[in-house]
Amino acid sequence: MSIITQAITSADREARYLNVEELNSIRDFYEGGQNRLRIAAVLSTHERQIVQKGSQTFWERCPVTPSNSGNRTFQASCMRDQGWYVRLVTYAIVVGDIEPIEKSGIKGAKEMYISLGVPLRNLVECMRCLKEAALDLLSLDDVDEVAPYFDYIIQGMKP
Amino acid sequence: MSSHTNGGSPIAYPQRYDTIPTAILSQVEQQDRWLKSSESKVLSNFFSSGAKRLEIVATLTQNANAIVSAAADRIFHNGSPMVYLEQPPNRENLPGYTVPPRKAAVRRQETLKLQTPSYGNPLRGLSEFLKTQLSDDRDPLPGGFRSINIARYGSVRMKRSMRDLAWFLRYVTYAIASGDSSILIVNVQGLRGVIPEDVTEATVVSMREMRWRSLQYFKKDAEAIAIIQEPFDAMITAYLAEKPPIRLRQGISNDQQGLVLPESYAIAASVRPKFVMKPHLAETEKQAVIKAAYRQVFERDVTREYGVSLAELESKFRSGEFSTKEFIRQLGKSRLYRDLFYAPFVISRVIELATRHFLGRGLSSPEEFQGYFEVISKGGLPALLDTLVDSQEYSDYFGEETVPYLRGLGLEAQECRNWGAQFNLFKFSAPVHKVPQFVTLFGEYQKPLPNQHPYGAGNDPLEIQFGAIFPHKDRDSDDHPAFFDRDSRRILISCEPSNGNGSHNEVTWGKVPGSLEHRILRLNSPVRSGGSGEKSSQGVSVNLLRYSPDAVVLGVYRQIFGREVFTDQRLTMTEVKVKSGEITVREFIRQLAKSPLFRGMYWDSLYVTKAIEYIHRRLLGRPTYGRQEMGRYYDLCARQGFYALIDAIIDSSEYIETFGEDTVPYERYVTPRGLEMRVRGHVNGSGNPLDGDRVYEGTWMKAALQRVNLDRRNAQLSFHNGKSGTLGVRVLETIDQHLVQPNSHGAEQAAYAEANPSEPYQTETGVPS
Repeated sequence: MSIITQAITSADREARYLNVEELNSIRDFYEGGQNRLRIAAVLSTHERQIVQKGSQTFWERCPVTPSNSGNRTFQASCMRDQGWYVRLVTYAIVVGDIEPIEKSGIKGAKEMYISLGVPLRNLVECMRCLKEAALDLLSLDDVDEVAPYFDYIIQGMKP
Repeated sequence: MSSHTNGGSPIAYPQRYDTIPTAILSQVEQQDRWLKSSESKVLSNFFSSGAKRLEIVATLTQNANAIVSAAADRIFHNGSPMVYLEQPPNRENLPGYTVPPRKAAVRRQETLKLQTPSYGNPLRGLSEFLKTQLSDDRDPLPGGFRSINIARYGSVRMKRSMRDLAWFLRYVTYAIASGDSSILIVNVQGLRGVIPEDVTEATVVSMREMRWRSLQYFKKDAEAIAIIQEPFDAMITAYLAEKPPIRLRQGISNDQQGLVLPESYAIAASVRPKFVMKPHLAETEKQAVIKAAYRQVFERDVTREYGVSLAELESKFRSGEFSTKEFIRQLGKSRLYRDLFYAPFVISRVIELATRHFLGRGLSSPEEFQGYFEVISKGGLPALLDTLVDSQEYSDYFGEETVPYLRGLGLEAQECRNWGAQFNLFKFSAPVHKVPQFVTLFGEYQKPLPNQHPYGAGNDPLEIQFGAIFPHKDRDSDDHPAFFDRDSRRILISCEPSNGNGSHNEVTWGKVPGSLEHRILRLNSPVRSGGSGEKSSQGVSVNLLRYSPDAVVLGVYRQIFGREVFTDQRLTMTEVKVKSGEITVREFIRQLAKSPLFRGMYWDSLYVTKAIEYIHRRLLGRPTYGRQEMGRYYDLCARQGFYALIDAIIDSSEYIETFGEDTVPYERYVTPRGLEMRVRGHVNGSGNPLDGDRVYEGTWMKAALQRVNLDRRNAQLSFHNGKSGTLGVRVLETIDQHLVQPNSHGAEQAAYAEANPSEPYQTETGVPS
């Protein structure tokens, strides 16, 4: 899952101690830890703001979409899912790996949205808006840390 | 009860141990919430202790041999134990084990300096020895402890002991790096059952010695001492603990499998709190229990998402009027559950989802399903829910007050026959699947073996060489179960010319319609064929064009590579040798098969199963039969690699029997699907070869089976009449061996009749049919 588990798995397969490269990568992981926690905290405190801004931009860009059709349930579930994805991103940031996103946010999600009748194209656009809204809050260095996870979601949702 | 079938195999990644971030996140994820501040604090401490941990790991790694040696000296005498410590095998040189080149990470800070562990020099060893003996803070030897005499202990046990000591230290370094002792506990608990009981004391002594020894490197550093002590202590405690009992899956009956789960897996599984309602709980905790119940029954936290609130039920639950069991039952009978999980689905799927929500597992067997189906058809959804909630299993697992939970990997032994469907059921996207998954899966089990490779349909090479590929739209071969057991063999259809030279007066029993006429290419080498009278007599009658050395060489290329290779890819030198008779065709094929071109085509780029299948078809002219045969090849590939595989196939008695030294291998057997493609392609000319029924239900098979039965009846009749029938039964191997050579005439005839309904079918050979 995380860098640590990967390193241990590969070292154990060869029945040896952790080597320098593995130790260095783990050390990077440790050293970046505080920073990642801080970013996760920023995202989680501003979740509501991010989701609201993201969905507004989204509705501006894609006016014809289920969540903008006036149906309150659709609108609520759209915003719920956005919040959910922001939370998954914070999980991924904390562990430093895409695994949490992949496990519950990508696998099967596309099929789920298709069967719910959500147009995937709009969904991707929505994720993009969400990404922009989230990145607006962060400094340039932090953007480098966060953007890949959003990109991963966008790629996973591409129709 | 055991079932030999399996239910498809989505890849599952069981958790093997926890690190602090994974442990925390799995809880957070289960409860669908953000990180709490207490959790962030734990993580933050963990991250900031990182540098220290890695420093310790580096030091211990560097001094690994010294530490292990000290521990061994403590418990052994009369010899040098380190001699018995074997270095792990260098796997990089083993076949098939290619480690991708790793680049050293370029870092701004200085990198950790780390040498490979080395034996200390003997002089320093002496001074260390004295120091060790004189130090006073060592753990005292337990009373009555006697160290083990190496000479008497035996070298085999000695080697094992040393290996284990090194292993303990290695895992301690892993545990330090990951910041959590769970990797140690998971692996060490229960070891006492494996390591002989009489050395338990010695093992513990040596562990203590390693701990003391490791602490010597960080004498003044309190933080480091704490970090080192923790995993060692955890390891010693885990080692001393009795072997934990295995967990039994409850509710064993004729239709439910009672499987056991080793406790170590249960320990390794991620910690997921169970929610239990108690009257004296604080309000927030009650709220958490209610939420957990929503997550279990509705698969998500409904109140937050839809703003629906089941206020009345909730308040009754809170006040203690409802037990948890009753609350769960009422949730199930609510209008919301009906809308979400009853109305949109067919009954079979409703049952499957209900077992997930109320029992925390998927359906176990068709019998179980039938029971529930009867209940729901008589009494509707409420009756089903009552049955589930009032069942013995529910009270065994959840009792009166626990909120049901998903009994997934690690919590319980998973069943084999519903494996795949169960994993899908536990996913967030389960309600999206409208098709009942368990029932269709159990239905699959009743069907005959699918016509595919035992290790998955993807391992069969494409049956057609050239032409368009039409994927099945309605069938996902990856997900479908293949329940070949160890002894089942594939049905292969022989397409070998009946008497070896394809004479037209014979009934060509195995001739695959539509395939080119078989020409057996045999090289009559001028040098070596002189002795054999048979061969030279054949050489006279033979068409020179067909059998010229050039044609043979070309044929070899076609057979081995499936095409004629480019000029500069040909092994010209070897060709000359074979043409001049210096080497045999068999030898030529061996060299071709060992060429980089062949290796690149069929070995390097392929997964081993598919590689074996391809190579086997190319060299031996038939697909593999089943798991036993594949197993032998796997073994060979794993131990000796590609070249040994080629040698084994070419030197096999089957090869020598069928092709001998001079014959070019040819396709001797095809799979039913391969045959079907050619049949249909031949008769209809065009069209999607994969349209229509599955092969075992296909027309040709029916026709062939009818034919065989008819022949058998004829044969019996003629046997009674005392003379042999004109046709007789020509099943080369009995059906018991799963190798049938069906009458392809029947197939051709049926296919022909299908294509041209008006014209009567005529056999070339004049055999009445």
